[in-house]
Amino acid sequence: MDMHISPSIIMRIKEFGESDLIVTFFTRDHGRIKGVAKGARRSRRRFSNSLDLFCLSDVEYSLKSNGDIHFLHSSKLIKPFPGIRSDFSALSLASYMIELTEILFPQNIVEKRMFELLKNCFVLLSQGERMDCLRIFFETKAMSLGGYAVSLDKCCHCKRIYSGAGRAVFIPDRGGISCLKCERESEYSIGLEPEAVNILKTLQSESDGSPSEILQLDMKIINKIRHLLKLHIDYRIGRKIKSAEYLDW
Amino acid sequence: MGIYPKSLERLIEHLSRLPGIGQKSAARIALHVLRSDKQLSEDLAMSLIAVKEKIRLCSVCFNITDDDPCRICSDENRADGTLCVVEGPGDQLALEEPGTFKGRYHVLHGVLSPLDGIGPKDLKINELLSRISKEKIREVILATNPTAEGETTASFIAGTLLKDRLDLKITRIALGVPMGGDLKYMDRMTIEHAMKSRMPVEL
Repeated sequence: MDMHISPSIIMRIKEFGESDLIVTFFTRDHGRIKGVAKGARRSRRRFSNSLDLFCLSDVEYSLKSNGDIHFLHSSKLIKPFPGIRSDFSALSLASYMIELTEILFPQNIVEKRMFELLKNCFVLLSQGERMDCLRIFFETKAMSLGGYAVSLDKCCHCKRIYSGAGRAVFIPDRGGISCLKCERESEYSIGLEPEAVNILKTLQSESDGSPSEILQLDMKIINKIRHLLKLHIDYRIGRKIKSAEYLDW
Repeated sequence: MGIYPKSLERLIEHLSRLPGIGQKSAARIALHVLRSDKQLSEDLAMSLIAVKEKIRLCSVCFNITDDDPCRICSDENRADGTLCVVEGPGDQLALEEPGTFKGRYHVLHGVLSPLDGIGPKDLKINELLSRISKEKIREVILATNPTAEGETTASFIAGTLLKDRLDLKITRIALGVPMGGDLKYMDRMTIEHAMKSRMPVEL
């Protein structure tokens, strides 16, 4: 068995037997892994409080060549993200981020940028970043990394290059925008101002800056992009995300 | 086809459905039952049925009980105006063991867990709110576990309670270094909590 140590985000924990835990964690180096932590519920040294949900911990683990359940040797807490632990809305958003990550990245798919995104979003969430902005920021980047970026460069019907000046229409089943000549606006195919398209482009690129800076705190744009992402995620994911129910509490 | 006789196979199958019992442990328990007196099997079967038939939730605190209301809720001496909120029956038993707490309990039956689809409506939070006004509660002790979900549940309840009753004293069980612990192996959050909630030494 190969031994590894990776910074990891704890995604799920489940009690197993007298004192063991089954832990699902997102590692920087090996993607999402599920493993058993023997004696973790009683351990004061090997795991000391580092296997709680949403924590960033350095996890020492071995990968088994066969089977889905690997083995955790020890872990050390790096960041507990206290801001997530004291607010139901923050807990719900963190849970939503975890669920979306689980859907987009099946076990053992390595994506270091996704690990960094999840970690950075937890830092921002714990620091009290505006949750509506952070949600849009995470959804756009996660979908992009998962291979479902919204196509914003040209009309998905006539292939005319989008100049960034006119109004566009988002088509969920095409996962991209269309010009007004090819498609009419409707409840399902929402119209987008050029600002909204440009902000989405910036979010989908390797942009720096905080979510609220990028979204410029314009509620009209925030609501429009939020609506677009809901349609896009619902269509692409095709299943219910449990924690989404609690995001607007 | 299994290697054991049918009736024994069935017992092993039923036992292995219990949490923490795998096929091997189930076979070991089943063989032990087979070797023991008939009385053991009868007592075991009767107590399993009795648990399912007699145990229910107390209509006041929602702890598991034989009688409704439970022993603690029907004891007038324990109506001292304090209410300790716990996640489940096991937590209530742990707090009851030292015998230092003389108030009453309220069992939530879980914690807020959006990942598992558990929200405020799935816990006994509304029942807690109505108890507080009915039973003249002065202090609510939030004794949920110090996990992410337990902490969030505690702060959610505190926020909800303070909306209606500003005069209510709300406390949280202390967090810090456990008995027999070793500071070298403590995580930074525990140390932070321990330092923040340090106590004056009384001689």
